[in-house]
Amino acid sequence: MPEKQIDRPGTDKGLSRRKLLTAGVAAGGALATGAVSAKAASTPDPLITEIQDWNRYLGDGVDANPYGMPSEFEKNVVRRDVAWLTADSKSSINFTPLHELDGIITPNGLCFERHHGGVAEINPVDHRLMINGLVDKPLVFTMEDLKRFPRENRVYFLECAANSGMEWRGAQLNGCQFTHGMVHNVMYTGIPLKHILNEAGVKASAKWLLPEGADASAMTRSLPIEKAMDDCLVAFKMNGEALRPEQGYPVRLVVPGWEGNMWIKWLRRIELGDAPWHQREETSKYTDLMANGKARRFTWEMDVKSVITNPSPQAPITHGKGQTVVTGVAWSGAGKIKRVDVSIDGGRNWKTARIDGPSLSKSIHRFYYDFEWDGSELFLQSRAIDEVGNVQPTKNELRAARGVNSIYHNNGIQTWHVKADGSAENVEIS
Amino acid sequence: MSKSLKLFAAIGLILASTSLAQAQDADAGAKVFKKCKACHAVGDGARNRVGPHLNSVFGRKAASIEGFKYSKAMSVAGSGGLVWNDETLAAFLTKPRKMMKGTKMAFSGLKKEKDRANLLAFLKSFSPDAASAAAPETPKKQEIAAAPAPTEPKAKPVAAKDAPIPEHGVFHLGRAALVEEVKAWDIDIRPDGQGLPTGRGTVAQGEPIYTENCAVCHGDFGEGTGRWPILAGGQNTLTDERPEKTIGSYWPYLSTVYDYIRRAMPFGDARSLSDDDVYAVTAYLLFLNDIVTDEEFELSNENFNNTRLPNEANFFADNRKEEPQNTARSEPCMTDCKPGKAEVTMRARVLDVTPDSKEGEGAGAIE
Ligand code: HEC
Ligand code: HEC
Repeated sequence: MPEKQIDRPGTDKGLSRRKLLTAGVAAGGALATGAVSAKAASTPDPLITEIQDWNRYLGDGVDANPYGMPSEFEKNVVRRDVAWLTADSKSSINFTPLHELDGIITPNGLCFERHHGGVAEINPVDHRLMINGLVDKPLVFTMEDLKRFPRENRVYFLECAANSGMEWRGAQLNGCQFTHGMVHNVMYTGIPLKHILNEAGVKASAKWLLPEGADASAMTRSLPIEKAMDDCLVAFKMNGEALRPEQGYPVRLVVPGWEGNMWIKWLRRIELGDAPWHQREETSKYTDLMANGKARRFTWEMDVKSVITNPSPQAPITHGKGQTVVTGVAWSGAGKIKRVDVSIDGGRNWKTARIDGPSLSKSIHRFYYDFEWDGSELFLQSRAIDEVGNVQPTKNELRAARGVNSIYHNNGIQTWHVKADGSAENVEIS
Repeated sequence: MSKSLKLFAAIGLILASTSLAQAQDADAGAKVFKKCKACHAVGDGARNRVGPHLNSVFGRKAASIEGFKYSKAMSVAGSGGLVWNDETLAAFLTKPRKMMKGTKMAFSGLKKEKDRANLLAFLKSFSPDAASAAAPETPKKQEIAAAPAPTEPKAKPVAAKDAPIPEHGVFHLGRAALVEEVKAWDIDIRPDGQGLPTGRGTVAQGEPIYTENCAVCHGDFGEGTGRWPILAGGQNTLTDERPEKTIGSYWPYLSTVYDYIRRAMPFGDARSLSDDDVYAVTAYLLFLNDIVTDEEFELSNENFNNTRLPNEANFFADNRKEEPQNTARSEPCMTDCKPGKAEVTMRARVLDVTPDSKEGEGAGAIE
């Protein structure tokens, strides 16, 4: 391997802003080796005039990687965690590297993880799904049984209710991976939950469901029957392949548009009842404490939200002024995204961005704003509007309504301050 | 096993033994040990915690610390001659449950060779006899080599062709759940007491159970050690700048305490307490939260509903749609929406709690 590899900033786990700056922009050029804009050249480029190794010698044959891996030059594209957030990695979180992705689908290996008792390792042959409670006939299914039901394919975002939860008191984390990375967007193959419930025969008195996981936290949440009968899926594939263990292999619940904690992984049981259970994750956690000391509960739907992923603190502008792509993602638990506006002056003036790629209900949408950067500082913001007419609020509007201790459901507008050198920082502005 | 797979396993072995010769760094190992700290102590005065203390672990027979309740798997391995040394520890720590099915060490493993080597160097510094214990021949080598070769998951056609198709439902899939099966899994409890098992326990009985199984993480008084959750106190802090949400200050229902402890605690050893133990620990948590004051107070399925938690009335249904920013549905402004130039009022850099920045934990940690 020749020495002139491109630099891979921050290949180690957990990237600090300080590190990023030394690795990239401030040190000048480390990043630029990897990202060179074509400028007028006076001497010929040896990459063109000299024959390169990859052009002369044979590369790996087929089967070098029976399960294909990303290019070694993409090693920095990984999930990262914020160790201080939780006491232990078995009840913790890591974040999707949104700033490295494009389009609308999140690759399986990059979907953020949140577990409460570690990743359960379950041989599908040993997995069972039980339906009990207010049904005519309690049933047990094997994975093979489940795969005989009619299937559907649907693309949905999953967002943790605590996404952006660290930003309630003000700008805290430098990078959209950390401020917004508890979201992913995946195509699921699964069975409409109603088919499975009808198989057991739902009693008229059944109003609530309690899905339960098989992991060491035996995760549970109460789910109203209307939602269960509407669009929930019992999914066993993501993006065409089996669910990843960390996403609930062999089978998980999909609760479109609703907070991620309800999408029970390693789904092993669904009980039907006539009242909610008030489990730990809907009392102690996932309730939203207001400034007056009272708390909102059963805040299931995820609000309309967007964030600019590039440029952002982990993805500064390295090419200097001129033609520039601003891009980001938007989603809403209420349906499709109708429009995304972008501001480069901190919300004084807005331009409507271009949405490209599939526009699906309760799925991430990709937007672009292409413009000519004059090299002056920018205050980048994005504002999403969904098909129902919900408009993404400012963070200050949310604080005025709720205070700063609600942890969950922060869908406020994010600001990135892009400086003349192209570096970007998470800020709050007047 | 195919030829290439055998070769692969052999290479794996060579790698496993040579890598130990690599430079090991006890300081770096101290960092890795953070992953063990929740459960293990080393150094002066180290006591058993969730796991046994790890002083002089090199050369020590597995499951040999008096007074620690090992799993059957660990005890059997110990009496079968398993001695901790570089090789056996490396094998165990790579994937505890792979090497020892049935160990109660709830730890998924140290994937990185380097982390393991450094950690062992660190542990060695607490094992005065480490040098003399230099790897006696153990059966572990074989176990590494015999690491299960990837089996081709072959779908076996079921011989149930002749079984009658069930009559229930639309698709006639699945089978009837047996009463014992439902009983084994259906352990949830509702605020009205539905689901409570028969049983009882007093505050006084709960104290030793709590001290032995819970206090390492949650603190002797429920105050929480390190970043482990706080379980008691915090009354009247919900409107403070830093509210403390505990069973006593925040949780609406006692049923949730029983339900959650029974399904998920102690962390890493769920479902290990008896129903009576859970009643006793729940009673003890009421005591730590000053909700009951009598040490002879007994909680049972019969009197469970008599105890209410103080914050029950302070929860309300989702009304986000009524918030000002959601009710004012005018067309969003597009030009000259705010006066003056944007000024920075706060920057993330000031806090610099982004991962890897040395100092600091963030202000608003999520829970
Ligand atoms: C969640 C708690 C937990 C964590 C984390 C944990 N352990 Fe353990 N460990 C245990 C328990 C419990 C046992 C007893 C296992 C048994 O009896 O099966 C144990 C047993 C052991 C033993 C065997 C001791 C003996 O006396 O035979 C060693 C060695 C050990 N652990 C090392 C480690 C190291 C090193 C780490 C960190 C990389 C670690 N453990 C992380 C809980 C933990
Ligand atoms: C090894 C450390 C550890 C031990 C031992 C332990 N816990 Fe926990 N406990 C945790 C962690 C971690 C959580 C949070 C889990 C999560 O968020 O998913 C927790 C959460 C809890 C909660 C909920 C706290 C809240 O505010 O929501 C209760 C109640 C609890 N534990 C009780 C107990 C009891 C009772 C015991 C003993 C029988 C026990 N725990 C033993 C680590 C521990």
